[in-house]
Amino acid sequence: MSIMSHNGGSVIAMVGKDCVAIASDLRLGNEAMGISSNFQRIFPVSDRIYLGLPGLATDVATLREKFRFRVNMYTIKEEREIKPETFAHLVSSTLYEHRFGPYFIEPVMAGISKTPTGGVKPFIAATDLIGCLNFAKDFVVAGTASDKLYGVAEGLWEPDLEPEDLFETISQTLLNAVDRDAFSGWGALVHVITKDKVITRTLKGRMD
Amino acid sequence: MPGSMVAMTQPVQQSFNPYTENGGTILAIAGSDFSVIAGDTRQSEGYSIQTRYAPKVFRLTDKAVLAVNGFAADGNMFVKKVKQRLEWYRHAHAKDMPIRAIARLIQTMLYARRFFPYYVYNILGGIEEDGTGAVYSFDPVGSYERETCRAAGAAQSLVQPFLDNQIYFKNQTPAAGTQFPQHLPLTSVLPLVIDSFTSATERHIEVGDGLEIYVVVASGSTSLQGLQNLRGVQEVTGTTDGERVFVIRRELKKD
Repeated sequence: MSIMSHNGGSVIAMVGKDCVAIASDLRLGNEAMGISSNFQRIFPVSDRIYLGLPGLATDVATLREKFRFRVNMYTIKEEREIKPETFAHLVSSTLYEHRFGPYFIEPVMAGISKTPTGGVKPFIAATDLIGCLNFAKDFVVAGTASDKLYGVAEGLWEPDLEPEDLFETISQTLLNAVDRDAFSGWGALVHVITKDKVITRTLKGRMD
Repeated sequence: MPGSMVAMTQPVQQSFNPYTENGGTILAIAGSDFSVIAGDTRQSEGYSIQTRYAPKVFRLTDKAVLAVNGFAADGNMFVKKVKQRLEWYRHAHAKDMPIRAIARLIQTMLYARRFFPYYVYNILGGIEEDGTGAVYSFDPVGSYERETCRAAGAAQSLVQPFLDNQIYFKNQTPAAGTQFPQHLPLTSVLPLVIDSFTSATERHIEVGDGLEIYVVVASGSTSLQGLQNLRGVQEVTGTTDGERVFVIRRELKKD
């Protein structure tokens, strides 16, 4: 079996109207055996940026600490919060440093940035395990259920969803995709990031 | 020369692989008194498109339509043999074989080739003797099951979870005091089929070019209205009484 599917798990991010959402399942496994149904793989980077790390669980822990360190260093040196676009390039270059011995993670990020005119700009991105960036305008997916997520998201997603509708769309997409994937599931976690707050909800899912 | 001596003494193994995979996707959904069987028309091998129009869905009788996906050569041969067996049945019994009997026939025909299988996933759709819509899905060696909906082929993993959500209402809760319908009306099923294929075309390279949707309608069904004045619909019914068969053809993206 491949290293990418050793522990299982999937992440998805979607764009809405002045908001973004990022969601993942909660399974940690050892190949076919389930180990934990409370394994979080989405982490806050700043108040308005969240990072999902599907892939090999040991690298989830390593990269989480690595990105925490690098974002802290950026914040201290620049004396300002990192922008989502900048953070995406930080993720990309960090992974590409290990071009010939990569971390087995395909990061997904979601955030919103404030424009100079006072508006709000939603942002999502994903990379492969060596940091090739994908700035999608609709949704990004990664993990062992990625093909299923693509199929459902392509059918359910529509432009300019309000935060509550975006929550429903991303939740239904994730839940129905992971129910057809043996390596993902066992509950889910959803974050909806809006201009002034982050809504976090834990979802019950099939436990088989 | 030592090199050529080795080549002369060592046995050389030759090999021939009689199978290939020709891509594409098929899908069937059963309603209360109708059945929808659809497939794209692209046929490919690796990254090459062999043709943009190779039908994968075939009318067997006025009450049964068969979709085949996998190795196209095996698929075409299998459909040919099923049609032949159905013709023999007509000559012996002066009627069309019922769909549940066709399903069992397909099982025995597939299992007869247990150790050199037809490399094909079959989905059989049509009308049962009691007038209800039916979908039967098979694996390549004949294991089968009657279901309400099924996707198979290259984009099965993209389409099936979408169908779980939209046809079986999985992960959804009905509003208080209401229930989800056991079967959807044809006017809801057709857009779902078209959406499934446009989604699969968008994200899968082996799906696209054209879409053929067969609709088998039980006699006296209310689903007939709204079907006849649909864009690109054509009636392909063989007899005058009983079930009616229609085919709807649509374009899919060609890239």
